[in-house]
Amino acid sequence: MIRITQQRAKCIGCHACVDAAPHRWRVSRKDGKCTLIGSKEKKGWHIALVDEEEWPANLIAEKNCPVKIIRVEKV
Amino acid sequence: MKSITKKLELLAPAGSFESLMAAIQAGADSVYFGIEQLNMRTRSSSNFTVEDLQQVTALCRQHSVKTYLTLNTIIYDHDISMMKKIVDAARENGVDAVIASDIAVLHYAAKTGVKVHISTQANVTNIDAVEFFAAYADVMVLSRELTLMQVSALAKEIKRRRIKGPSGHNVRLEVFGHGALCMAVSGKCYLSLHSDFASANRGACVQNCRRTYIVTDKESGAELEVDNEYIMSAKDLCTIDFLDKIVEAGVSVLKIEGRGRSADYVFTTTKCYREAIEAVNDGTFSTEKVADWKSRLSTVYNRGFWDGYYLGRTMGEWTNDYGSKATKKKIFLGKGLKYFETAKVGEFLLETQSLRIGDDILITGPTTGVIQHTISALRVNDQEAESVQKGESFTMALEEKIRPSDKLYKIVDAQ
Repeated sequence: MIRITQQRAKCIGCHACVDAAPHRWRVSRKDGKCTLIGSKEKKGWHIALVDEEEWPANLIAEKNCPVKIIRVEKV
Repeated sequence: MKSITKKLELLAPAGSFESLMAAIQAGADSVYFGIEQLNMRTRSSSNFTVEDLQQVTALCRQHSVKTYLTLNTIIYDHDISMMKKIVDAARENGVDAVIASDIAVLHYAAKTGVKVHISTQANVTNIDAVEFFAAYADVMVLSRELTLMQVSALAKEIKRRRIKGPSGHNVRLEVFGHGALCMAVSGKCYLSLHSDFASANRGACVQNCRRTYIVTDKESGAELEVDNEYIMSAKDLCTIDFLDKIVEAGVSVLKIEGRGRSADYVFTTTKCYREAIEAVNDGTFSTEKVADWKSRLSTVYNRGFWDGYYLGRTMGEWTNDYGSKATKKKIFLGKGLKYFETAKVGEFLLETQSLRIGDDILITGPTTGVIQHTISALRVNDQEAESVQKGESFTMALEEKIRPSDKLYKIVDAQ
């Protein structure tokens, strides 16, 4: 499994994560920020546990995030 | 000096409630700010939320200060719903205008009856562009690279052609008067996007231009440090010494840059330019006053000053230092505790450092704004005292009200 975390409040809605991993990320119509699909929120951090096959795409999402609020780690 | 009756509107930045109050107290005619994202300080300023907007506009209306909402990044399809939400919120809260560059924003604002100012991001540099944008906007923020002669020619041509905005009045011109300048032509920098995937044109600039660089000889591998010069880091714009010429050129609005700056920066810059505009208006603008204003402007964040491109310079002037050259710095001391209205006395807790009679202090807070004060008397445990030490609470006479949300600083020489 891999764990993806996002500090959503700091998102600027640039779409870089959606470009990298479109099945895991989408832009919210409500506030224009990127939403980590399937995540649960805990004290401002949005966390999702997903299959390892999603590792490469989400690693690019982490690397390309301009405000560095995405973290991807193997658990 | 001949008095000039046409009044220049002073537009100040507000990146937080502290800065907003500071701008109001220092005499701004109008303020600009961003909410959420989609503005050019998405990364560096805390920005207000949609929920804050009502409080911001109510506060400004109470002080007869106009409000301009920045919504001036590049807009992609996925931003459209948020952009519309922000424009709708601007209309519902009576924001005076939205500052925009993307045609999607101009189009939606026009459809929904929200006034628009054309952002410097649109790079308005010629009269035909002014004529084009006049269908959408009454105010155009000109490109920062124009000379005053070019600005003046645009102002004259607007009059001659009677170029009117949606309000039916002649289009008004706005220029940047003070603060940071971009090394690229306004809004056309891609360095940050290339290095960090962080688009400056989406408000996420990482400021590559402010760093030092090494040049590498590809044949030998030898590295040469570019010494004594930050070759891409422009000095900060300062126009206070030729503000009379800016007014004469036909400029209507003067903008101070700095939504990412502190409240004391906003207070000092806005106050100096307020005084300068009044001096131009009443004919008392003088070199002595300019020297005083420049000295005060030097006390807050600056990278050294230059006159920008207004007086005909073809190349930028670069700073030789990293960060600020401010002559003063502020040291955090503690916080406000209570204000005794009848006695006009403020109580504070000194959490660190020490404080003594004669020290210059600064108090900032979201409701208080900015208070600058020189200490003439102190009381600790209800006894007169020469100084206060870390951990002690103390009182002092203050005309302005302070609050528990206020922070207390000591102002000292930067060296």
